[in-house]
Amino acid sequence: MRRVSGFPVCVSNVGISVTVVKRVWPHLRAVLILVHLFAISVLAMPAPGSGLNRSAWSDPTVTAEFDAWRERLSGWGVEYTAEEFEEQLWTVAKTYQDGVNVVVKPFRPYYRYCGTQQSWRMFVAPHRNPAILHFEIQENGEWRPLYVEGSSEFTWKGNLLDHDRTRSGMFRYAWSSYRRDWRRFSSWFAQEAATEFPEATHLRAYYWKYRTLSPEDTRAGVALQGRQQGRRVIELDDLRHKDEP
Amino acid sequence: MWSRLVAFFDVKEPATPLALVRIIAGLASFLTLQTVWRHDLIRLIWTSADNGGYRPIKGDWFVQLLGGPTETVMTGVVIAGMLSSLLLMVGLGGRLTALVTLQLILSTTDANGHTGGSYDEVLSNVLWLVLLAPSTRTLSLDCRLRTGAWQDETPVAGWVRFLLLWQLILMYWTTGLQKVSAHWVPGGGFSALYYILQQPTWQRWDHGWTAYVYPLTQLGTATSWFWEVSAPLWLLSWWYARTAERPGRLRHWFNRLHVREIYLVLGLIFHFWLTLLMDVGPFAICSLAMYPALYSHSEWVRAGRWIGTKLPCRATPTVGDISGV
Repeated sequence: MRRVSGFPVCVSNVGISVTVVKRVWPHLRAVLILVHLFAISVLAMPAPGSGLNRSAWSDPTVTAEFDAWRERLSGWGVEYTAEEFEEQLWTVAKTYQDGVNVVVKPFRPYYRYCGTQQSWRMFVAPHRNPAILHFEIQENGEWRPLYVEGSSEFTWKGNLLDHDRTRSGMFRYAWSSYRRDWRRFSSWFAQEAATEFPEATHLRAYYWKYRTLSPEDTRAGVALQGRQQGRRVIELDDLRHKDEP
Repeated sequence: MWSRLVAFFDVKEPATPLALVRIIAGLASFLTLQTVWRHDLIRLIWTSADNGGYRPIKGDWFVQLLGGPTETVMTGVVIAGMLSSLLLMVGLGGRLTALVTLQLILSTTDANGHTGGSYDEVLSNVLWLVLLAPSTRTLSLDCRLRTGAWQDETPVAGWVRFLLLWQLILMYWTTGLQKVSAHWVPGGGFSALYYILQQPTWQRWDHGWTAYVYPLTQLGTATSWFWEVSAPLWLLSWWYARTAERPGRLRHWFNRLHVREIYLVLGLIFHFWLTLLMDVGPFAICSLAMYPALYSHSEWVRAGRWIGTKLPCRATPTVGDISGV
């Protein structure tokens, strides 16, 4: 076995001369490098991806973005109603995403098995209507908070919930399109509460969704205004006895 | 054109930048897994619902091979991943270590698509390129065992360094292109950074105070947006620095104005503030792992010598120093 430019060759067995390999390998390598560059670049290019979700488009943050762009287009003489704008955008985004999907399809195994996935949709827009996770339990008829996201006082399971990976999930589950996963996530913590608080009868889980304040409002001392969303009240007794015959 | 391209990918150079990338990538991999281990998160996020997790998880081919995403399997994968990350840092086991680390990182961070971020992709991208490079040629235990020294300047394939740079620039550039919110782009008040800092998911603490330094957040928004969308100029500046001996007015000005260094410093400032104000996981270290590829072996050696002269304890004087020869 001989090694030429990092390329193993069994000269006698395969019958390929070292000279041929020496000549071909740099070209083959250049082709492979260009294929890699193409594969990752086309996938990295801006595309709606998971943003192509009609239910997510009804979120106030998204509708506010659309309104801002409609207003800007109007300033340039291009007028759209909210419905027209959304429909037009949906058509363009869907067509574009379908095209991207066709181009990247042959490379899917390369992305998956070699770790070359590209997804750089990072902070594409500030979320003006974020949500704060709350867990509360009922003991002796009284509700008390267990966990409030960002609180230094109510920190139950904070080692799990305050980690950036868990918060990534918590961010998603505040969106209505993740309703099923929100149920699973909150149920998991209800099971934990059922074990940890034997006197508790219920766990209440919800997001408090609010609009972030402008700099002017913050300086003026305006209070945050929000509402509960995704509220679930889970009976803990059911969870304690679920494995009993 | 084709022959020039083939020749460009055929260039060989000492592996110092690749070794530095390997060391930081190993550290990033270790921290990625260690923090999940330390926070006791494996059961919650990386095991399937029927094994104690909260949602159905299948696991990739490797996890399936081990018996599926149970807590025992995933804990084993995490521990193995931490060990291989350490081996990658010290440079023992050549490319095999990089391959093992990449696989273990993919098996864990891809297990639950809801509990990760772009930092996982940055890391796997870097590890794949580290795997392609003979990165343990120098600054490694492999090098020490092979040559008896910690450093080996034997040239290796230089194209991996170019791929690392392409990846770095592609990441910054396309994330900038996707910042299409009216709060980001010019004409929209440059309020994005202010409002992002108010999001509870990522803030380290309450950032209401930024309302009192709002113009600074606007400056930060404009600077980071421009830095990202113009990132291809960074790649161009690298090319111009590499071919400094060639003619051209643009090349001359890019090198004279140190455009490559300006982008580098902006990048460091960007990651510093991002890490200080927001908890975005290991994004900074995963991204910074690619930065050593910006400079060649000789530039790193020069930088090392320069740092050496600035250190308070000077090296023992040589015979030449004493005799004045």
